Amino acid sequence: MVAVKLIPLLISWFGIVLVLLRGFSGRRFPVAAAGIAGFALGVVGAFALLRSYPGELSFGIIRGVVAGVFLLLWGIAVAALYRNTMREFHVFQGEKLVNASYYAVIFTFTASIIAGAICTCRLPAPSGNILALLLLVLVAVVLAFAALAAEKMLPAYLTVSQPALMAAVVALLLFSASSLIRLDLFSPLSMKVMKFAHDFVHQFFESMLIPDHLFIRTYLWGYIGLLFGNGVGFWGGMIIWFTPVVLILLAIRFELLPSVAHIRQGAKRRKLLAAAIRERRFRLVVPLLALLVFAAAAYRSSYPSVEYWDPVPVPVMANPAGEIVIPKQGEINLEDGKLHKYLYKQGGKEARFFVLLNPSGQFTVDLDACAICKPDGYGQAEGTVICYYCKTLIPLETVGKPGGCNPVPVPFTVKEDGVHIDGMTIINSWNMTVQATARIKEGGK
Amino acid sequence: MKRLLSAIWAVLSSRAVPPLVCGVFLLIYIGIAFGTDDTLIALMAFTRKSVILVVLLALIPLNSLCLMLKETDRHLKRRRAKNGDENDAPAGLFDESIAVPASPEFAELRGRLEAEGYNCRRKEGVLAAWRGISIFPTRLLFLAAVFCLFTGILVSLTNRSSHRMNVVEGEPIPTAEGGGGLVERIRLEASSGVILDKKLRLEVAPSTAGDGRKVFELYPPSLYRGYFVYPRYLGFVSVIRFSAPGMQSASEIQGALNIYPPGKEDRLEIPGTPYQIVFSMVKPDDGSDPYMTGRFTLLFTVLKGKEVLFRGNAPTGGEFVHEGFRLAIPDFRRMVITDFIQDYGVLLVWTAALLFMGAGCIWLPVRVFLPRREMVFLQEHDAVNACSRAEGRRRTHAGVFHETLDILEARRPSTP
Repeated sequence: MVAVKLIPLLISWFGIVLVLLRGFSGRRFPVAAAGIAGFALGVVGAFALLRSYPGELSFGIIRGVVAGVFLLLWGIAVAALYRNTMREFHVFQGEKLVNASYYAVIFTFTASIIAGAICTCRLPAPSGNILALLLLVLVAVVLAFAALAAEKMLPAYLTVSQPALMAAVVALLLFSASSLIRLDLFSPLSMKVMKFAHDFVHQFFESMLIPDHLFIRTYLWGYIGLLFGNGVGFWGGMIIWFTPVVLILLAIRFELLPSVAHIRQGAKRRKLLAAAIRERRFRLVVPLLALLVFAAAAYRSSYPSVEYWDPVPVPVMANPAGEIVIPKQGEINLEDGKLHKYLYKQGGKEARFFVLLNPSGQFTVDLDACAICKPDGYGQAEGTVICYYCKTLIPLETVGKPGGCNPVPVPFTVKEDGVHIDGMTIINSWNMTVQATARIKEGGK
Repeated sequence: MKRLLSAIWAVLSSRAVPPLVCGVFLLIYIGIAFGTDDTLIALMAFTRKSVILVVLLALIPLNSLCLMLKETDRHLKRRRAKNGDENDAPAGLFDESIAVPASPEFAELRGRLEAEGYNCRRKEGVLAAWRGISIFPTRLLFLAAVFCLFTGILVSLTNRSSHRMNVVEGEPIPTAEGGGGLVERIRLEASSGVILDKKLRLEVAPSTAGDGRKVFELYPPSLYRGYFVYPRYLGFVSVIRFSAPGMQSASEIQGALNIYPPGKEDRLEIPGTPYQIVFSMVKPDDGSDPYMTGRFTLLFTVLKGKEVLFRGNAPTGGEFVHEGFRLAIPDFRRMVITDFIQDYGVLLVWTAALLFMGAGCIWLPVRVFLPRREMVFLQEHDAVNACSRAEGRRRTHAGVFHETLDILEARRPSTP
């Protein structure tokens, strides 16, 4: 089962080595060696990190590194577009660096460290199973040699430009990361874009002194309201996700052709230009493939293969004093560390909430909704709960603390006979939360 | 010193400045996003306080100005070269430049280029050919728009001041110095416009301080003593008379209630008592707008601390009595919760929007249908210095240029 889960990541690793070997075709063996060494170091580093900081911090660091690499790709894509399409940028100062022999080794080494760290995070007990780690490194070495052999079989005309190389490597790293909800970037990116769109529209209206929704036609406000929806987060995220590769594709497609004004034979000129155009077309192949990998990563992020623990809410009643009492032991064992959902109805109103024993051994009672999103509820997986609406992961340690996309905590008391919650408080708290999130849905006003 | 100035000029007039500055701000935004949910607001506040970030942001309008100067200079130089006013075509002004060792046969060249659709001008030792419209004016408009936009943002960020105040019918319009004109009337009417659903008019009488009669509407906002009057929400100022069992005398308070549209709640505390009242408006059955008609019924919930005592309703001017409690609404007046905003950056941003629209409307058809293509042949001793550039349809133009060079080469007198 673990091996099956690791297959996409190992395929990505193979792809990374293959593309690096082609990108630095003059330095095949140093690149292969740097790749293997980097992967092994990544595995060891992630192992040490996860062992030292077993919580979310380690995953946060690795995810931060992946995000940093993605940002770097953005910078490189913009620079490539400027460099290739404007004569004044044609002389790129970094050319010397890129052509230096150590650059290939450093680039490969860094990419491989990240790939190794991501693969380690995918292991079921990454901080404890040394045999699995050794096996992982061994498989990575075998795949690196396989890539070394496969690269020789690739047609010679399939060349890779430096920005395209970067795009391919980052795409494969993001694809690997998307298989772990804790390392995934696309879902948090979508959420941030949604928040940005909301803040931006609000600030724009205020800054430009545009009248509030009170005075604006309903149909028009309906269109503006689209900017506050989940779709904006998803499509905005898609734009940010794909733009760097698209920029690199444009940079290659619109790369200035060589000057042939000095050649006086028309046929020779045409031949030279045709060769340049053909070569340019072949250089589009790798970024086009990277585009597909980016799409696959976004898909995996939107439809993760993780199964969430999401029990059907159990209906509960309040006693004559208006108190809901949930026994600790009984049909449901509240102390099993799992999230247990309940449904409370009172006078035509209802509220959904859950009880959870967090890793520090403390009970927490929370609404099955947060103060930001639509109340689609939460599921539990891998030391976190996930908000189904925005796919934000909340570490179990922080469930019970208010703010952001955390479930809204509800006051309760723990007694001998179980967890006691005030029914009226639950209903009021739910109503306030649902009203607030409905307002966001209607336009955030 | 000259080298230093030249380096500074190269940096300031580089087209890489805007993406670099935007990249830095993006990184800061991402950094802030780790710490707070209100990232954009935090970034704005951070920029406002940081001199370095303000200077960094100011680089963009400065860069636009420098680019305007640089590109105007290049345009004029190209123009002079085409007119034959410059003996030498400066390097970097054209896409391709080449010296062909040939005696010019400009008459033949001119004929061929005109047959290809180029306009030609021939002067002594110079042949210039061009077709299409230059994108230069559009580019200037675009750069001016960028300048206005970022200057506007900068001015807004650093100098905006905002005060939220209630503008109430029958009371002077609130100003920082006082002495504002009397708000004679507040009117809300239905609008037939495409964008706005309602028309709001605030009619202010002349003030003793010398302000003339003013009428403020929703958009575009008007200025009053240097402040934009920006109406935000509607409500009423009501006089509430409340008495409860055990109270020695009835309390009369005047409260601003932000309760429009119907259903929106606002709360008033009765000073010196544990009572508070939550108000809202009943939505009229006939579908009329209570703010427009001035006829409405107030719904209220009376609380003692957190305990709900009773709920009731009373029309304006009416009274409600319940188990010794008495609540009357003898008077009400319309109110507009208004932001008084001093921010001249807004004007620049509006200007930028117009300039962007103008630039876009010109750029697209010019770029698609009539891109500028030009070539210049300058005779220099026994050679012809040929230069070419195109803003679109580059390959076709380059083909014509290269064939023209072939002709020049073919006409070269054979050397012994």
